[in-house]
Amino acid sequence: MKSETADAVLEARHLRHSYGARRVLDDLSLRVGAGEIYALLGGNGAGKSTTLNIFLGFVRPGSGSASVCGIDPSTAPDEARAALAYVPESVALYDHLSAYENIDYFLHLAGANRHRTSVIDPALDDVGLVASARGQRVGGFSKGMRQKVAIALALARNVPVLLLDEPTSGLDPRATAEFNDLLEAARKRGIATLMATHDLLSAAAVADRIGFLREGHLDEEVAANGGARFDVDALFRRYSERRESRTA
Amino acid sequence: MSGATVRIAREEWRWLARSRVALVAGVLLLLLIITATFTSVQKHEAIDEARARYQSEQIEQFYNQPDRHPHRMVHYGQYVFRPLAPLAFFDTGVDAYTGNMVFLEGHRQNSANFAEARQSSLMLRFGQLTPAFVLQTLAPLLIIFLAFRALAGERERGTLRLMLAQGISARQIVSGKLIAHAAVAGAIVLPALLALTIMSASSGASAQALLIILGYCAYLIVWTLMALVLSALVPRARDALLALVALWMVTVVLLPRGLPELVAASQTLPTRIETEVAIGRDLKAIGDSHDPDDPYFNDFKMEVLARYGVSDVQDLPVQYAGLVAMEGERLTSDLFNRYAADANAREDRQNALVRTFGLASPLIAVRQLSMTLAGTDLDNHQDFLSQVESYRYSFVQHLNRMQAEQIPAVNPGEDPRIDASNWLEVPGFAYVAPNPLAYAGGRIAQSFGILAAWLAGLACLLILAARRLERIAR
Ligand SMILES: Nc1ncnc2c1ncn2[C@@H]1O[C@H](COP(=O)(O)OP(=O)(O)O)[C@@H](O)[C@H]1O
Ligand SMILES: [Mg+2]
Repeated sequence: MKSETADAVLEARHLRHSYGARRVLDDLSLRVGAGEIYALLGGNGAGKSTTLNIFLGFVRPGSGSASVCGIDPSTAPDEARAALAYVPESVALYDHLSAYENIDYFLHLAGANRHRTSVIDPALDDVGLVASARGQRVGGFSKGMRQKVAIALALARNVPVLLLDEPTSGLDPRATAEFNDLLEAARKRGIATLMATHDLLSAAAVADRIGFLREGHLDEEVAANGGARFDVDALFRRYSERRESRTA
Repeated sequence: MSGATVRIAREEWRWLARSRVALVAGVLLLLLIITATFTSVQKHEAIDEARARYQSEQIEQFYNQPDRHPHRMVHYGQYVFRPLAPLAFFDTGVDAYTGNMVFLEGHRQNSANFAEARQSSLMLRFGQLTPAFVLQTLAPLLIIFLAFRALAGERERGTLRLMLAQGISARQIVSGKLIAHAAVAGAIVLPALLALTIMSASSGASAQALLIILGYCAYLIVWTLMALVLSALVPRARDALLALVALWMVTVVLLPRGLPELVAASQTLPTRIETEVAIGRDLKAIGDSHDPDDPYFNDFKMEVLARYGVSDVQDLPVQYAGLVAMEGERLTSDLFNRYAADANAREDRQNALVRTFGLASPLIAVRQLSMTLAGTDLDNHQDFLSQVESYRYSFVQHLNRMQAEQIPAVNPGEDPRIDASNWLEVPGFAYVAPNPLAYAGGRIAQSFGILAAWLAGLACLLILAARRLERIAR
C-alpha cells in the first residue's frame, strides 16, 4: 500500500487530545501519501475536525505528533499551513466580495500566484462555477456555490496537501459527482487528500482508504480493492453495526 | 511590512467603504468636525474682534476723562479684556467660564481671582462643540464602531481561520487591521490638522499646533489599539462592541468628571464668602489710615516726616493723603497677592493630581495637553490675572503719585483737580501672551509620556492577544 511507503505527506502518530475532561482523540495514527485520498469517516463528535485542526496547527495535541510534508504544525503552524489547502466545514467567505475577489484575496495572503486567466479561472472551471457568477458578490450564493469557491481556492493554491472538512455536506447529488471528479483530478496531480466525512457513500466513491473513527479512536482502516473499489454493502453493514453497538 | 499585511489593510478599507453604516458614521463625524471647526473659528474671530473693540473703547474713554482729582480716576478704573490665544478656537479650555473681562480699580483686586467658579475649574463644560470636544469624546466612538468587528467579526464569520490557513501569522493579520484603523484615526484628525495649520500660520503658534495634532493622533491610536485588543480577545463582535462602549463610558464620561470631583472633595477649598471675610479681617488688621491713633499709620507718618526733614504734614512738599494712599495700596496689594498665590498654589496642586489621572483615562491626558498647548488652560489664565494685577498696581500707584505730587498739600480748594493731559501719561495694559512651550514644557512632556505609556501598554496587550489568535480552533 502507498501509505506504508517511507514518505507519507501527512502523518499522525499516536494523537491524543482532550478538551477539559473530555477525551476527543485516543491514540490516533494515520498516514496519507502523495496522490492518495484518505477518508476519515465518523459520526458527529467522533473527532474528525479536531484531527484536521491538529494538522492545521489550530489545536496542539495533548500527546503524539503530526506532520505535514515533514513540518510539525504544532511548532511551525505558518509553514505547515503554507503547504496545505483547507476547505472548512462551513465555508466562510466575504459576502461583500465577488468570487474572484475572495479567491484573489486569500491567494494574496498565501503569497501564491493569483493570475486571473491562468490560475483563478481554470480553478473555477474545474469546480464548475458558471462564468456569469464569478464577478458577483458571494453574499447571494447558495451553499453549493460557496463550496465551489472554497474548493477552487484550495485548487488554485497548488499545494501538495488538501484538507477537506465535510466537503459534500451541502451538495446535491450532481454537485457531489462533480466534486468526486475534482478529487480524482487532484489525485492525478499527486495531491495528498485528507477528507473528513460522515457520508459513507461519498467516502466509498472516491477514497483510496477509509478510516473508521469512533470516539477518537481509529477502529479500522479499509483500502480500496481494484476497480470495484469498495464493497459498499459490506462497508455499510460494518458502519451501522458500529453505530448500533455505540448507541446500545 | 509584508504584502499580506498591506493587503489586509486594503481589504479592511474596502469593507469599510462598502459598509453603509460605517460610511455614514464616518461622513457624519467628518461633517461634525468640519462644522465644529468652522463655527469655532467664526466664534473665535467674533469674540476676538468684540474684545478688541471693547478694549479700545475703554482706553479711549479713560484717556478722554476731563480734569479730575486723581483719586476719582483710581475709582473710575479700567476694564481689561483678555485677548484670545490664537489656538483657543480649537480648544476653549477654561476660557468658557473663567471670565475674560477684569475691572481694575484701587484698593481691591479683581474678584475673578477669588471667584467660586474657579473651584470648579477642573470640571469642563460638556458639549461645547469645539474640534477638541469632537476629537476627545466623539472620535473614539467612531473608531470603536469602525474597528470592533476587525478581528472578532473575522473570527465569528470563520474567515479568520481561512486567513490563517493560508499560512500567514496572526501578527500579520493584526498588523494589517492596525494599519487600516490607524489610518482611519489619521483621517479623523486631518480636518483639525488643516484648520490648525491655517490658524497657526499667522500667529507663530505652529509648534503648538503640531504638538496638538501629535497628541490627538496618539490619543486616537490609543483608542484604535483598545478597540483591536478587545476585538481580538472577545470572540463575539457584539460583545466586543458592548465592552468597548462600556470602556468609552468609563474613560470618556465617568472618570474625567468623577476623578476631579474626588480631588475637589478631598481638598477643602475656602468658599468665596470665607475668603472675603478672611481678607476683610486681614485688611482691618493692617490699620486705618484715617485714625490718628492707629499705631501703623502713626509710625508711617513719623517715618515720612523724618524722610522729608519736617515736623508737620502741612510742611511736606507733597500731599500727605497721596502718600497714605500709596502706602495703603501697597499693603492691600501684598495681602491680595498672598491670597491669590495661595489659591493658585491650591489649584496647581489639584491640577497636578488631575494630570496624573491621565494614567486612568487617556482623555484626561489629552485634554490637559490640548488646553495647555492651545493656551487656554488654568495656568495661562492665572498668568493673565497676575499680569493684570501687576498692571493694576502700577496704574493705581501712578494715579496716587499724581495725587501726592500735584494736588496742593495745603489749601487745595473746594474741588482740587489735575489736568486731563495727565491721563495720557498713565501707561495702558500690554498683555504678553505666555508661550506654553516655555512655561509648561514639563507638563506637556508629562502628558505625552502618559499617552506614550498607554500606547506601549496597549501595543503589548495587542501582541499577546495576537498570539492567542494563532490557535483559534473555532
Ligand atoms: N474547542 C473545543 N472545546 C471543547 N470541546 C470541543 C472543541 N472542539 C470540539 N469539541 C468537542 O470534541 C468532540 C469532537 O469534536 P469534532 O472534532 O469537531 O468532531 P467531528 O468533527 O467528528 O464532528 C465533540 O464532542 C466536540 O463537542
Ligand atoms: Mg466536524
